[in-house]
Amino acid sequence: MFLPAVDIRIRITGVKSWKVKNKSRAFWSGQFNVSNALLLSTVSSAQYSFCVAYTKVRMRALNVALFLCCLGVAICQQVEVEPLVIQHAERTIDISSQLVQISHKLKIENTGATGGKYVLFTVEPQLKSHLSFFGATLGKEGKGLRSTIVPLNSLTSALTYRIELPTPVTKGKTVDVEVETVYTRYIEPFPTEISQKDKQLVKYVGSHYLYSPYKVVKQTTKISMASKNIESFTKLKPFSQSDSSLTFGPYENIAPTSVSELTVHYENNSPFLTVTKLERVIEVSHWGNIAVEEKIEILHTGAKLKGSFSRFDYQREPNSGISSIKAFKTILPAAARDVYYRDDIGNISTSNMYVKHDSVELTLRPRFPLFGGWKTRYVIGYNLPSYEYLFADGSQYALKMRLLDHVFDTLVVDELVVKIILPEGSSDLKLKTPYEVRQLPRTLHFTYLDVTGRPVITLTKRNLVENHIQDFTLEYNFPRVYMLREPLVVILAFLVLFVTVLIYVRLDFSISSSKAAASKGGNSAVSETVLRRHGKRAGLYETFDTQLSKLKANKDASAYQAALKNLTQDHKAETQAINDIITKTRPESPELADSITELQKLDRGFWEVYIQYGQSLEKLVAGKMARPQFLEQDNQFNTKRDELAEKINKIIKTL
Amino acid sequence: MAVKLLKSKTGEASSHKYETLLKLTILSLGAILSFSTRLFSVLRYESVIHEFDPYFNYRTTKFLAEEGYFAFHNWFDDRAWYPLGRIIGGTIYPGLMVTAAVFHYVLNFFNFLVDVRNVCVFLAPLFSSFTTIVTYLLTKELKNESAGLTAAVMIAIVPGYISRSVAGSYDNEGIAIFCMLLTYYFWIKAVKTGSIAWAAACSLAYFYMVSSWGGYVFLINLIPLHVFVLMVTGRFSHRIYVAYSTLYCIGTILSMQIPFVGFQPVQSSEHMLAFGVFGLAQILAFIDYLKSKLTQEQFDTLFHAVFSLFGIIVIGAVSVLLITGKISPWTGRFYSLLDPSYAKNNIPIIASVSEHQPTAWSSFYFDLQLLVFLFPVGLYVCFSNLNDANIFIILYGITSIYFAGVMVRLMLVLAPVMCIMGGIAVASLLGKYIKDIDQGSKSHEKKTVKGRDSQQSQSRRSEISMAFVGMLTFFMVMYAFHCTWVTSEAYSSPSIVLSARSYDGSLIIFDDFREAYYWLRMNTPPDAKIMSWWDYGYQITAMANRTILVDNNTWNNTHISRVGQAMASPEDKAYEIMRELDVDYVLVIFGGLTGYSSDDINKFLWMVRIGGSTDRGSHIKEQDYYSSNGEFRVDREGSQNMLNCLMYKMCYYRFGQMYTEGGKPTGYDRVRSAEIGNKDFELDVLEEAYTTEHWL
Repeated sequence: MFLPAVDIRIRITGVKSWKVKNKSRAFWSGQFNVSNALLLSTVSSAQYSFCVAYTKVRMRALNVALFLCCLGVAICQQVEVEPLVIQHAERTIDISSQLVQISHKLKIENTGATGGKYVLFTVEPQLKSHLSFFGATLGKEGKGLRSTIVPLNSLTSALTYRIELPTPVTKGKTVDVEVETVYTRYIEPFPTEISQKDKQLVKYVGSHYLYSPYKVVKQTTKISMASKNIESFTKLKPFSQSDSSLTFGPYENIAPTSVSELTVHYENNSPFLTVTKLERVIEVSHWGNIAVEEKIEILHTGAKLKGSFSRFDYQREPNSGISSIKAFKTILPAAARDVYYRDDIGNISTSNMYVKHDSVELTLRPRFPLFGGWKTRYVIGYNLPSYEYLFADGSQYALKMRLLDHVFDTLVVDELVVKIILPEGSSDLKLKTPYEVRQLPRTLHFTYLDVTGRPVITLTKRNLVENHIQDFTLEYNFPRVYMLREPLVVILAFLVLFVTVLIYVRLDFSISSSKAAASKGGNSAVSETVLRRHGKRAGLYETFDTQLSKLKANKDASAYQAALKNLTQDHKAETQAINDIITKTRPESPELADSITELQKLDRGFWEVYIQYGQSLEKLVAGKMARPQFLEQDNQFNTKRDELAEKINKIIKTL
Repeated sequence: MAVKLLKSKTGEASSHKYETLLKLTILSLGAILSFSTRLFSVLRYESVIHEFDPYFNYRTTKFLAEEGYFAFHNWFDDRAWYPLGRIIGGTIYPGLMVTAAVFHYVLNFFNFLVDVRNVCVFLAPLFSSFTTIVTYLLTKELKNESAGLTAAVMIAIVPGYISRSVAGSYDNEGIAIFCMLLTYYFWIKAVKTGSIAWAAACSLAYFYMVSSWGGYVFLINLIPLHVFVLMVTGRFSHRIYVAYSTLYCIGTILSMQIPFVGFQPVQSSEHMLAFGVFGLAQILAFIDYLKSKLTQEQFDTLFHAVFSLFGIIVIGAVSVLLITGKISPWTGRFYSLLDPSYAKNNIPIIASVSEHQPTAWSSFYFDLQLLVFLFPVGLYVCFSNLNDANIFIILYGITSIYFAGVMVRLMLVLAPVMCIMGGIAVASLLGKYIKDIDQGSKSHEKKTVKGRDSQQSQSRRSEISMAFVGMLTFFMVMYAFHCTWVTSEAYSSPSIVLSARSYDGSLIIFDDFREAYYWLRMNTPPDAKIMSWWDYGYQITAMANRTILVDNNTWNNTHISRVGQAMASPEDKAYEIMRELDVDYVLVIFGGLTGYSSDDINKFLWMVRIGGSTDRGSHIKEQDYYSSNGEFRVDREGSQNMLNCLMYKMCYYRFGQMYTEGGKPTGYDRVRSAEIGNKDFELDVLEEAYTTEHWL
């Protein structure tokens, strides 16, 4: 469903570049924002239908535009170099790290009668592919200026930016523009292979003059390096050298796009580390947590290690392997917790974490020191509280986080992949990025307790530096009710489990015993009545016990006789009742009848024991029996009674 | 009035419910305990696979989980045994990997994103909690429920079993013990009931056992032995006939489905006892049948004739098969089981593994503690109440105690039976004495007109019982403490990460193994061939993902021997061997700086022995590597051969300039407490590629 939308987006992008070529800006300006907005946001499902209709209308307009553009290309040159002059250019080239950071301070004067709306800035052809970051600000206020890449016929091999000025420079007036450019992987190690004890020497090749389509009246260039140890440099006068910096110029009245090669061969032991691939996964949970995980592949891009690596030298001599990287610092957001640092084969135990008031500083030491050409790979992850990055308005949420975060100072990232995983059920995704990135097709991610999957946005960009550490904003819609979904899934799962157990326990699945179980069920009524009768009988025995103890105490034989008569009667009645049951059940289930018969037999014995004991007690009371003799009988009675009672209980349990 | 007549069943029923609840609680607590006590290493270090073999299992499991069963079945591994390779599918017991992969698949199906490594790490603890439950069932069948509960709780923490099943020790044994006990349980059930269903269940459990561990041979010999003993003691009956015939037929056919086992169950000598007993069972059953049909005299005549004829035929057939080689002779490991000195004399490679060494007496106590003393008691209880099932457990106990004495590794097989016996012993002792306490207290209350003497003896009895029960409880508590201590101290280090305490008490972690493996993984060409001693083979393939020459599956003695020769030769000869084997990197483990004692120099003698055990290495003699006094030394007095061999040079390369300990000269080896003999030398044919932080 999302795919067509993406398709449309790509087309519009194409048109945009056409538009730039065409100079009739008035015609297009109204739509520029629209297409730009479309570019930055991917159309969500809710907006989809609207979009299709809208695009149909636009398509017709686009066809017309296409035609006009062709005409435009045929008739006129794309961009004119306006008659501007750079009065004073001050370049600072920082090559103390692995990056080339050039900041230009330009004082520009309009010498022509018209124009002055924009300034062109060109990047030399050999630097074009190394350019990572381009930023222009207005000199005094430091206000950011909008810049776009334009083709320039006169300089097709170079890369030209058009910097749009907020107010046009009129004739004779000047404007201060500062341009900041960062180039990656441009400084080359020379020699390309060094042994462990050598220092790393690198070579920077540039130009003494500012490469510009305009004439430069006066210019100076300052180069700052990592150390004062300079092997050689091109000596185009005037120049001066101090400590770890070189100053060239001022050179005066240099014609447009003139080049004079500048080479500096110097020592640079600063880390030449490149992140060849960084995969950043941001997983948002509405339960208050944002999990960030970064998979990082690092390569040492400095001079390669020649010969063997000696641990002995490395540990003994401080200058041994000076260009190698033992550890580096990664700065995480202040709220980061549960930080982990591991790789394919487990936890890396060599790291330290310092919690500072505005950040968490992590000193990461790879498993082994990185020499030139060596690489490693690791994973770092942490949790962030969502209240710092997630903003809500009703069911509308906005996630504001860094697209790229700090890995080490003077960072170079070859390829960045960012995956943003939103909660299950989010919709209407609108993404705003600080710079242009490529969006890959959306996918779904399944994790714990997911049913429909979580939407994943994947972004990718190549060649990034520290200046790219900026925030993106992702807006989406997430009904709060969906928060209950996961607990409900858990509850449901347990419910199903319990119900299954319940059913399993209650039902009898066996095949063979079903008949026995059925007959048992039929007999349960019978055994219950037997048990009831037997219970009454047991009650009678208890009364018997009390009567006996009464007799012992009161020695009242007549009262005992009367009670005994009653007891005998009741006992007989119960026994008879049970006997009736036996005759009734015999044909149906002989087994049950047998066991009840057994019960009856035992009960008869039990009764006899009681009667006999009663008789001897009477004799004792009447004085017809000696006490020792009675005690003997008493003992016998006790054992016999216990024995029988045990047997009876056994049968009762089986009933 | 001691016994009261029951009025109805209800009172009894509720107490029955309480009993069930209590049983369930104890059992589930035992299961949870057995799981959690094995997590020491995960909590202390991390969720990581331990030791050597588990790394191979982990690697294969990962392959299985990713590629599916058929790819796994046909997997030809070219990373190991270069240039020979190894057919993984046909040379392993797949039960463990399949189990883990199934767990992984099921969890992921329900979107529980647990990765393969974590499944592997926690599989052994999980199965040990299953074992707890099975032990309960088994002991319940043997004795009663209380014995079952005691045994279950004991096995939950017995160190002998924990040593092989802590979290991260992802090895066959972890699930095999569960399978074994399950098979025993079904077997006892089958013997008791004589039902085909139980026997079939037993053979399924046996199949699972076969698929997971080579130790199934013990099982397939023990059960026939049981049957045989029952025959001899005249307890053979139809029940046993049914149970055994079913088990043997189904079990054998199933076990032959495992590619690694193949036709062994009908060909190798190890399985012949099972086969013989099967035949015997048929004959006995037939004789019983004839007896019931014929008169005594007819029977006698027939019996004599047939018996002698049949005996001759069987002996003839077996000897013919043995000569023609249809029945393979016993394997080395099996011989070393029967004759502990066999391996030492004949196959150095088996003897070189520490877990194949005979067990020290102290380790019995260390691993079993109280159970050592309870075992005879349990044995006595079993003998005093002899029945079919008890005979089985007696046999199991006696055979396993012998095997555990021969090989350290088989302590694992002994541990469960020790627990069962212990459970039986404790339950019967407590049962007896607690009854006395009960009676004693009752007689006190009663104060009847009984004689003074008897009353006094009663009370004394109760006091003695009280003391005894107290003592036993004390012992049990001690047992629990001991087990926890052993688990935490001895069995919970992953051996891949070493830790030590520095002088100020802070923890130093030596993670050099992984440092080296990861360096290999990241910074060598993907097709690099790495030579190392075979101990590290599995770890290199799993963690460094590089091709190795030899690994822990020691199936090719000559190949290993070749590597041993390379290590033991002087540099120029070693170079030739290494070129022949197409080696790119050589990995040695050296503990001289940190004091890690199981390093390659200490294993070196085994390399020499194994290297010299084949024809091509006959020039390498163990004697040449000893000093003149016949000692193994690395210092100045060591033999010249020793001081110039490749292993020595690689380990001590530039070590001569290193200060290791205060007050000692440079190049002081902290493991062997000696200053090394050969200090200044250069490697001619190799160059130091990478040395880890602590020089391991």
